[in-house]
Amino acid sequence: MSEQQPFSVDIGKLRTAAKPEATSQVIQTSDVAGERLGFVNRAPKGRGGRQPSPRTGQVHAKTLPHVAEEISAEAKRRGVVQGVLIEEAWALYCHQNGLETGG
Amino acid sequence: MPVIVIASPKGGAGKSTTAILLATELALAGARTVLFDCDPNRSVSIWASRKKLPKNIEFINDVGESEIIRAIKHHDTDGKIVIVDLEGVASRLVSRAISQADLVITPMRGTTLDATIGARALALVAEEEEALGREIRHAVVFTMTRAIRSNQHKGIEVSLKGQGVDVIDPPLMERAAYSALFEFGGNLRDLPPQGNMEGAISNAIEFARAVYQRLAEPVEAAA
Ligand SMILES: Nc1ncnc2c1ncn2[C@@H]1O[C@H](COP(=O)(O)OP(=O)(O)OP(=O)(O)O)[C@@H](O)[C@H]1O
Ligand SMILES: [Mg+2]
Repeated sequence: MSEQQPFSVDIGKLRTAAKPEATSQVIQTSDVAGERLGFVNRAPKGRGGRQPSPRTGQVHAKTLPHVAEEISAEAKRRGVVQGVLIEEAWALYCHQNGLETGG
Repeated sequence: MPVIVIASPKGGAGKSTTAILLATELALAGARTVLFDCDPNRSVSIWASRKKLPKNIEFINDVGESEIIRAIKHHDTDGKIVIVDLEGVASRLVSRAISQADLVITPMRGTTLDATIGARALALVAEEEEALGREIRHAVVFTMTRAIRSNQHKGIEVSLKGQGVDVIDPPLMERAAYSALFEFGGNLRDLPPQGNMEGAISNAIEFARAVYQRLAEPVEAAA
């Protein structure tokens, strides 16, 4: 590879303009100009991360070992908490027996 | 000192590549550069994490729209060139960064889509000049250019020049070395050989020189 001499920057030659101060008025002027052309606020709102779970209820269910094992394996396979399976089973039960259920 | 903002709402137009080439070549030419990664997708941060930063380059990331103006001002000091890489979307972060620019560069491939969407950055600069009552220099650089330019590319170039748009010569050619920067970090001289290295290096030098010339010309007094 041949040695290519980079050019050299003469700092003294660099020109720069005075920029507007970061006052709220300047920021607003710039924002309004941007918004006219669709350059809008896209900063993420609120806190990120996982939403709090609405599953705050709790059942206390002792079952035969094979039922516990099967529910656990199925929940793992689907990537859901075990409560989701119990909710689905309850919805089916209500449907079969003509019961009202919320949610 | 000069603030260069790289802006196009078109994704994948070559903004981050342009920012890295400019920072690394200006740094090799002896300028202290400060490179801002303002893109939540962090392309420039990926480059920066690959290897120790080259001499003369300072790197800053995680700057959001609420901090951008102050962050640029903080580094807009004697003897430094600030280069700001932005996300490829139309956001308020872009308009705020442009308010602090000495030069806005819009990279675009020679395609109608890049040119059409890139034109929104040109329009934004004009709008901000008007609103803030200051001139903001603006230029387009064609990226991923092939030795033989398509008719589409030629047509776009003629049309831009006809509208008085400053088109930087040379364009950034399509070079394997430019995309390899994201894999290896550092500057072009540090890379293991990738395709036509000599061509890649001389193109990058000439591009950086063309930008430098724009920074070294007298600034017109604000209107
Ligand atoms: N001149 C070039 N030669 C070869 N590859 C290039 C060139 N310019 C850009 N690329 C490649 O094209 C892709 C997009 O480029 P780049 O990330 O620079 O675009 P961008 O405008 O910053 O994108 P985004 O809008 O997502 O931030 C990258 O994979 C990059 O390596
Ligand atoms: Mg990018």
